[in-house]
Amino acid sequence: MTARAVEVDVVVVGGGATGAGVLRDLAMRGLSALLVERGDFASGTSGRYHGLLHSGARYIESDPISARHCAEENAVLRRIAPATVEPTGGYFVATPDDPDDYLERFPARCAEAGIEAEPVPLDELFRAEPLLNREIRAAYRVPDASLEPWELVDANLASAREHGAQAWRYHPLTAVERGSDGAVVGVRVRDARTGEEKAVACRALVSAAGAWAGQVAALAGAELAMSPGKGSMLIMNRRMTASVVNRLAPPGDGDIIVPVHTVCILGTTDVTVPDPDDVHVTDDEIHALLADGDRLVPGLSGARVLRAYAGARPLYDASAMSDGGHEESREISRAHHVIDHGRRDGIGGFWSIVGGKLTTYRLMARDTADAVAAALGVDAPCRTAEEELPGPAHGDVYWLGDRLAAIEQRGGGDADLVCECEIVTRARLDAALDQRGDSSLDDVRRTTRLGMGPCQGAFCTPRAAAVLDERAADGRLAPQAPSPNAAMRGFLAERFRGTRPIAWGEQLTELWLSAGIFRGLLAVDELPESAEPAATGGEGTHAAS
Amino acid sequence: MPRADVVVIGAGLAGLSCAAELAERGARVLLAAKGMATTHWTHGALDVAGVSGAATSRAGIEALRADGEHPYARLAGDVEPAVAAHLERTAAQGLPHTGDLDAPLRPVPTAIGTLRPAAIVPSAQAAAVAPWNGDGLLLVGFSHYRDAWAPWAARNLRRATWPEGPREIRGITVDLPWLERLHNLNATVLARLFDDPVWRQRTLGAIARAVPSGTWRIGLPAALGLERHAEVHAEAEATLGHRCFEVSSLPPSVPGMRLFEALRRRIIGAGGRIHLGFEVVEVERDARRVHAVHTHAGARTLRLLGDTFVLATGGIGGTGFRGRRDGTVEERIFGLHVTAPPHAAWFSDDPLQPHPLEAAGVRTDDALRPPELENVRVIGSALAGMHYLSERCGDGVALASAHRVANELAAPARAAA
Repeated sequence: MTARAVEVDVVVVGGGATGAGVLRDLAMRGLSALLVERGDFASGTSGRYHGLLHSGARYIESDPISARHCAEENAVLRRIAPATVEPTGGYFVATPDDPDDYLERFPARCAEAGIEAEPVPLDELFRAEPLLNREIRAAYRVPDASLEPWELVDANLASAREHGAQAWRYHPLTAVERGSDGAVVGVRVRDARTGEEKAVACRALVSAAGAWAGQVAALAGAELAMSPGKGSMLIMNRRMTASVVNRLAPPGDGDIIVPVHTVCILGTTDVTVPDPDDVHVTDDEIHALLADGDRLVPGLSGARVLRAYAGARPLYDASAMSDGGHEESREISRAHHVIDHGRRDGIGGFWSIVGGKLTTYRLMARDTADAVAAALGVDAPCRTAEEELPGPAHGDVYWLGDRLAAIEQRGGGDADLVCECEIVTRARLDAALDQRGDSSLDDVRRTTRLGMGPCQGAFCTPRAAAVLDERAADGRLAPQAPSPNAAMRGFLAERFRGTRPIAWGEQLTELWLSAGIFRGLLAVDELPESAEPAATGGEGTHAAS
Repeated sequence: MPRADVVVIGAGLAGLSCAAELAERGARVLLAAKGMATTHWTHGALDVAGVSGAATSRAGIEALRADGEHPYARLAGDVEPAVAAHLERTAAQGLPHTGDLDAPLRPVPTAIGTLRPAAIVPSAQAAAVAPWNGDGLLLVGFSHYRDAWAPWAARNLRRATWPEGPREIRGITVDLPWLERLHNLNATVLARLFDDPVWRQRTLGAIARAVPSGTWRIGLPAALGLERHAEVHAEAEATLGHRCFEVSSLPPSVPGMRLFEALRRRIIGAGGRIHLGFEVVEVERDARRVHAVHTHAGARTLRLLGDTFVLATGGIGGTGFRGRRDGTVEERIFGLHVTAPPHAAWFSDDPLQPHPLEAAGVRTDDALRPPELENVRVIGSALAGMHYLSERCGDGVALASAHRVANELAAPARAAA
């Protein structure tokens, strides 16, 4: 437990989109910055959202400020991060259950918020989206799109590193140190893998912990009452629509369908929860999502559901001071707030950025960095809207077929598939582990999509664990990484967690087949905590001579 | 239109062995199935009652039948003749086994290096259940074959509690450059390669050069040939100079495919008919009896008339049942009542522990007749009351229930003939 001293201008807590965006923005202004994240990057709310790059039209009534922010940032993200955006386009449609007055007001409200909304003739709508409910009576086209969160966060972190910043994952914040004037002078973090405590001296602390911001504030001695809004979503086995589809009604439960990669996501419920870590999907939510989904795509509820998951929105009720009595968190503004704890609580050098949407992460980062930079006497302007994020070239949006085409072109041994469902090759898995050697299989999943297809890890889990073991034997696995056996057990448990709530029909049969593999064939329940270390018994590859 | 004394629906171990016995005993039998069944997902050993703590399958059966809801509560007496007939039947088709109900349940290694109990195994796995007597265990995988993980498995096995186990355990990956361009090999493709004498000789030679000195039992990927399996196994032992056994990995299961093929040949050879790829799409029935089932494949629908219909479609895993979102479990051919736990209690929290829903099934009388239909019989894992994965009893229940039904239904057919 040796304390290691590091000194930076700013510590950013939270490795989601907002924290990564703040880190990048600060670094581009020439400040030295360190981001600490308690788990894997983008494993909290950013990695557990629906994948929708909002046009803003969803919030024109409930939250006009947020709507305008979304509209502006939508255009910015398409420009700076084209590789993370699939420009699916989106529709707002009026089903027979949706109110007439909402439909009537919609075009004007969109115009007020600066959102392009173009009426679409119904025959054109049904030609483009043949599965949609034929009783839909009106439709507008808006610039919604599908946004890949993990690649976006990675790109922000990569850009921040290019500008000299650092980011540590698996480093939960354990303490905030304050000087005699009450201002923040440093933090302590713990390496969750090794237990090592590290001290970091800093001039400013930014909490971008989102739904967990209350916990970070408490460590600094401030009270910040967040109202985490649980949003539950279902992953359908295939795309039901080619575009994002929303309903022309105030936001409800199963009222958005977002095509994402090979699947589509049906969302989203909204329930205030006391603990952002306790966001399990309930049966009631699943039934509500599917019932609403049927209104958009009749028969959707009979289709195969791959998985259920939930995220915690970073909602902060600026008007109600911490009574937290909301049943429905939808009424709380989605717009973001930069809280200056120096002014509010007498804790100088400490800001929390709360509220907001993934779509507006860059704007949130800008507003936060503006406040921090001003306080630190740095007058460099924000450049995050001008400079493109690192990543594949424009238009090179990931599509599953691209992977297959690349493999067919290349051929050869490295084309061996570890995960057939998502076409993850051995080479791709190795590349992900080369980059982040301390990953669990769930972390690898976030960068490769390992185990995210119909079989939910039945085949790829033992293969990938064996790859981890091979790397461990060659000394190519970081010492703090989970053991291959622990990685395997952890991944099985994680995949089961999302399958269990929707295990009926084909997905239940799939679960039974994976149980047959794991319990019947492989007896994983007998697996030791970890395998014996390598290099004791003459293992290795023997060349054919 | 096809007419049979008995129409068997389902091509898993239960359906196949029931059809085989009926055909052997002179009944006109037709087996219809929508596809291959769970034989292609198994490890190849015969799971009769590999109950934890039981010394033999017989002891395991006794332990399981104590639970009055378990299929063995009424089938215990059928297991021994059923297993004996099955081993005779498969041996006659070139797939001999070792072991019986009194053979000791011994730990055998899995592909990831855990141990599971087995007592009755095909000859290609016999070396894994024989007492080790000071032999070492050498697990072998191949480069460019993604489903054998010998070094990892060996190092896991060295941590296992294995009384009277091998002298030492090693795992090696043998480099076979000639596999390089054949990416995404699965066990089936590998088995077909082993069927080729030239390929086989070259590959076994490479393995032989990698075997360290000492006395070993060599665990190879369960892919030692499909058509010429016995020849491949014998040649492997001769070339390597050690006893060899197969270690099953991810599906498709080559040992399961051999079993399927042996039983398929037996059914055809005994005069039975098999319609594979024909899904039952409609049932003609009155209140108490089924008159015909309609199957569909391609453009044609067939009407299959029978005196008795044997349901061998499996449970949830075999798709005989469908678990529905409302928490009910539907039997998909005849709509028989399925006894199942309430929806909230379907699963355990740990994916590696038995789920209560696994015990879901059809309750029958002693003749394995469901309460709704007098000329239907239910066999195999559609029967209620077992946790076949943790009790390792699925094959025993399949064989015993198939035998019980075949025994009853063949008698009048033979009398009539």
